[in-house]
Amino acid sequence: MALLFLVLPALIAIPVSLTPKRFLSMPKGDYSWRHFEFLFSSPEWLSSFAQSGIIAVSTAVLATALGTLAAIGLWRVTSKYSEMVRAFLLLPLIIPQIISAMAFYRLLIPLGLLDTYAGLILAHTVLAAPLVLITVSASLANFDPKLEQASRNLGAPAWTTMRRVILPSIRPGVFAGALFAFILSWDEIVVTLFISKFNVYTLPRRMWNGIRENTDPTVAAAAVVLIAVTLGAFAVSAIVSRQRAQTALKED
Amino acid sequence: MREAASDAKSGGLTLSGLTKHFGSFTAVDNVDLDIQRGEFLTLLGPSGSGKTTLLMMIAGFLDITAGDILLDGRSIRDVPAERRNFGMVFQGYALFPHMTVRDNIGYALDVRKRPRAEIAARVDEMLDLVQLTEFGHRKPGQLSGGQQQRVALARALAFAPPVLLLDEPLGALDKKLRIEVQDQLKDIHQRVGTTFVYVTHDQEEALSMSDRIVIMQQGRIEQLGTPNELYEHPRTRFAAGFLGKSNFLTMPDGTYALRPEKIDIAPGGQMNGTARLTGTIRGITYFGAVQKLMVAVEGRDDIEVDVDSWRNPHALREGQPVDLGWSDTAAVRLEDT
Ligand SMILES: Nc1ncnc2c1ncn2[C@@H]1O[C@H](COP(=O)(O)OP(=O)(O)OP(=O)(O)O)[C@@H](O)[C@H]1O
Ligand SMILES: [Mg+2]
Repeated sequence: MALLFLVLPALIAIPVSLTPKRFLSMPKGDYSWRHFEFLFSSPEWLSSFAQSGIIAVSTAVLATALGTLAAIGLWRVTSKYSEMVRAFLLLPLIIPQIISAMAFYRLLIPLGLLDTYAGLILAHTVLAAPLVLITVSASLANFDPKLEQASRNLGAPAWTTMRRVILPSIRPGVFAGALFAFILSWDEIVVTLFISKFNVYTLPRRMWNGIRENTDPTVAAAAVVLIAVTLGAFAVSAIVSRQRAQTALKED
Repeated sequence: MREAASDAKSGGLTLSGLTKHFGSFTAVDNVDLDIQRGEFLTLLGPSGSGKTTLLMMIAGFLDITAGDILLDGRSIRDVPAERRNFGMVFQGYALFPHMTVRDNIGYALDVRKRPRAEIAARVDEMLDLVQLTEFGHRKPGQLSGGQQQRVALARALAFAPPVLLLDEPLGALDKKLRIEVQDQLKDIHQRVGTTFVYVTHDQEEALSMSDRIVIMQQGRIEQLGTPNELYEHPRTRFAAGFLGKSNFLTMPDGTYALRPEKIDIAPGGQMNGTARLTGTIRGITYFGAVQKLMVAVEGRDDIEVDVDSWRNPHALREGQPVDLGWSDTAAVRLEDT
């Protein structure tokens, strides 16, 4: 029941997107693909898809690199300060988004990055890196420190140990973090509204405007695609981890 | 192989005044020890006596608080773990789970950038040494405990280290397998000629495998010697009680340790005047090959006497009065009382 409540808003987008009418409405027995056809033939919508995709992938790559490095650094150095540093790095998750948005706005103006890809990627990366920090730290907590000692004992310098022993062992956490980072950026709207204007027009941004300015059912079609991509990303990660589990099982 | 050529001339370790503090706690306390090249030396001691700490300092994973470690006369205090070239078999093995057995064994040569063909040949050789030729392409998770243990050994020996450190390598195996692997380990030690520093808290393992044993207690060396020396001539109460069993007899001139199997026992009055003590059998425990008799002696602690079951010449029973006797050399006078 609760689950239904959670998914209902998402599911409503599906019938609405199939309405033959020119305004947001539930279809009454007659369905049409016209809004999807419009969505995929409109240069504006297509460009928003591409922009969101570029920003989300870049964010995922950067946030994963930074978050993983931070997690490993904090795992290595166990001093009384490392927990403070960790709490500090997790702040973006705790601070209300609207405040982060204003902060980014003020920060990006002097940098000249307002309304640019770089600005959005930077902001999304700051928001997403803590997610990676969390997932990778969880993997590291399960990592047997004796493996690192074994690698060093066998003559491997720190970097080799990192690449050949530590990273392969925490790969699931890195993948999960990358996925979360991608999804965070892919449907981020609050910060995006503050720091983009005309040049960069992401998918959620265009949907937001679509709802405010007219009641074009194309927004519903876009929502369906947005959700589908998110679900797709989850499905890919589920299949990957399932395959890993299965090969592990076969090996046993 | 380069190391293989050099290791015959290398592998003598000297610990001098080696000390490790954790805060105000002293885990290893001023240990002086000369480990001979090619020797099988066992560190034996109860839990918390500092065995692992000592080994980790030799391996380079723990800083030294005071003292020094010398390899063939040269200090290695400032050499980082990855450049000490000591093999190590970790408790729990620490095999790399995502690599095959072959990749695990070849790892040390691989990170030393040896040619592929050389690595493959050496891995084959090591697989043969530990009798796992069939298993090279499996992952560690697909092996039994005993097989994993042998992979860990092969991995640690693959780069022909002058010294091999082993921290309770058989701790996770069941008793029968332990004895089997003990024999293999001894055999491998003889074949490779590497110095083995072996940590255990199993006294039988220590007695049966070692050239020399170091008994440790509270971070100090309690006694050092060959298994036979330690068993026959324990110097302290702790050594006598920890390695094998002992009865402790208080005599006018000090305390003596007396092994239960060195005591003769006969029904009361049948020892023709050579009896040293008389008592009553309070309990008999049957262990197959031997029976342990607890004898209550007036004015003393109970004395344990081990008798070979097949002998049991007098069909001794509980409650029976008995004479106890032993030869002059059987009782060892302890120094610490
Ligand atoms: N990192 C540490 N910090 C504080 N104390 C430690 C640390 N490592 C070990 N100790 C203490 O040092 C003492 C020796 O520990 P060690 O692990 O060397 O014992 P051990 O002889 O290997 O015991 P076991 O047979 O149980 O493995 C113990 O009392 C332990 O609590
Ligand atoms: Mg230990």
